[in-house]
Amino acid sequence: MFRSEVKPAVLRQVVDTVSIIVGEGKFRVNQDGMSLKSVDPTHVAMVDLELNRSAFESFEADDQELGIDIEKLKNVLRSATPSDVITLHLDEESNRLILNMGNLMRSMSLLDTRHMTDPKIPDIELPAIVVMDGEELERGIKAAENVSDHVIISMDNESFELRAEGDTDSVDLKIPNDLLLDLKCDKRVKSIFALSYFSNMIRAARASKVVKIGLGVDYPVKIEFDIAGGKGHVLYLLAPRIPG
Amino acid sequence: MGVNLSPLVVEAKREISLKELENLTIAIDGHNALYQFLTIIRQPDGTPLMDRDGKITSHLSGLLYRTSNLVEGGIKPIYVFDGKPPDLKKREIETRVARRAEASEEYARALEAGDMEKAFSKAMQSARVTPEIVNDSKKLLAVLGIPFVEAPSEGEAQAAYMVKKGDVWAAASQDFDSLLFGSLRLARNIAITGKRKLPRKRVYINVRPELIELDSLLKKLEINERGLVDLAILIGTDFNEGVKGVGPKRALSLIKKHGSAEKALEALDAEPEIGVDKIKDVFLNPEVTDDYEITWRKPESEAVKRYLCDERGFSEERVEKALSKYRGMGTEQRRIDQWF
Repeated sequence: MFRSEVKPAVLRQVVDTVSIIVGEGKFRVNQDGMSLKSVDPTHVAMVDLELNRSAFESFEADDQELGIDIEKLKNVLRSATPSDVITLHLDEESNRLILNMGNLMRSMSLLDTRHMTDPKIPDIELPAIVVMDGEELERGIKAAENVSDHVIISMDNESFELRAEGDTDSVDLKIPNDLLLDLKCDKRVKSIFALSYFSNMIRAARASKVVKIGLGVDYPVKIEFDIAGGKGHVLYLLAPRIPG
Repeated sequence: MGVNLSPLVVEAKREISLKELENLTIAIDGHNALYQFLTIIRQPDGTPLMDRDGKITSHLSGLLYRTSNLVEGGIKPIYVFDGKPPDLKKREIETRVARRAEASEEYARALEAGDMEKAFSKAMQSARVTPEIVNDSKKLLAVLGIPFVEAPSEGEAQAAYMVKKGDVWAAASQDFDSLLFGSLRLARNIAITGKRKLPRKRVYINVRPELIELDSLLKKLEINERGLVDLAILIGTDFNEGVKGVGPKRALSLIKKHGSAEKALEALDAEPEIGVDKIKDVFLNPEVTDDYEITWRKPESEAVKRYLCDERGFSEERVEKALSKYRGMGTEQRRIDQWF
């Protein structure tokens, strides 16, 4: 059994944060809410999403998995207006997800989840954690994309820095400690990340004003932020590029 | 040319997307890639691209743009060039020279007669990978920061050796010979993109990358590696003519029935022109080297532009665009699994 009502904006945040990692998602629903853990097809990035039942207008679910084509869901959302409340329910007989908004009904066949992996999110300890304004970071990312395809992220106990170096041009965004919301950094850390992934993750963090980043030395980065007004949480892990 | 295994690989090959090759090292058959560029990159009347001195640049164009697309897709190419051909290849080489000379003459006649279609096709057939073209290409690869290996003898043997050693993931060539040399994986349609002209026809087909795994090929054919070499000998290779009237499928059933090339030849009452042992030896004990280094550097943009734009007449804008695709070079993307 699965039946819920949700505002389009909340569902859109789910779609936006998941779609940059995978095209097909295995969502787990149970009495606590909805969650998803996925790794991207090239095994470079992962997403761990949790959405509490309180993020929904109403929510009832037995413990089960729903295989959803994210692209289809995105399309459905295009026909939703902000004032709509979308009703989702599982038609167990036909194995379809039925979405109702206003007079519009959309039924969507579910994907077989047996072939979808269930990745474990590695429990990695990172020596540096920063909490900052996502918009400022997005500005830096946008500039970096003009000169390179990867960024060098570094931190020490005084500042957070994002650098991109092209053949002839470079971009540098340096934010001192007092302009950051929080900074815990025992030692100087630095890792390099592909912008094709990193930018999308930072852009997805738009859902919340505040983003938390954990960093190490040539180590995966952890990017965390809230969605659905604090009733949901997203964690990304992105493997680094290593200097050759 | 190599051995014709196409009817036999149909079931064992699978179409892949370049995305599947992301982060993987691919040993590209340099001679084969250059030959593809020289045949395909031509004007409608068959004239290759040339610089102001009349020297061909089709190969440099292909090499620059194709390599940059691979690199942009996160694929790590290494080119493998042929060394001194085995003595057994002499006859094949002589045949090729004669065929090209003939095609050149026909090309000139077709041009004169204004038959552009025939001219294009004959121009393709007369394409030749000269030492100068190979040198140009190595010069470009060096400044692009793309590694290349000089094989002591056959490039496909060297590529297969590197795959077996685990230094590269797959060999890439249009020819199948690397499988006979024991390459665990052969990727085809890697060095050419999108559309390709069918031989002798003005028809373009979409070519998609495909992968043949040696293991699954042998399983499908129900033979072992030696059996594959044996059947190639019956079909004909670069080193022998093969048996008249024996194609790939017949060769397979002959090998399965008789067990070896020698016994099959005996049963057919056919004499191989040269010792079967000698041909087998080329495939099973080829001359290879450990003298190579696989590292990718950032391109030396100024040097690339000096060579391509100043010396060989390339457009600066297009070269810069291609160079921007090499930005990821010099760092290596790791997979998240490493931290599981």
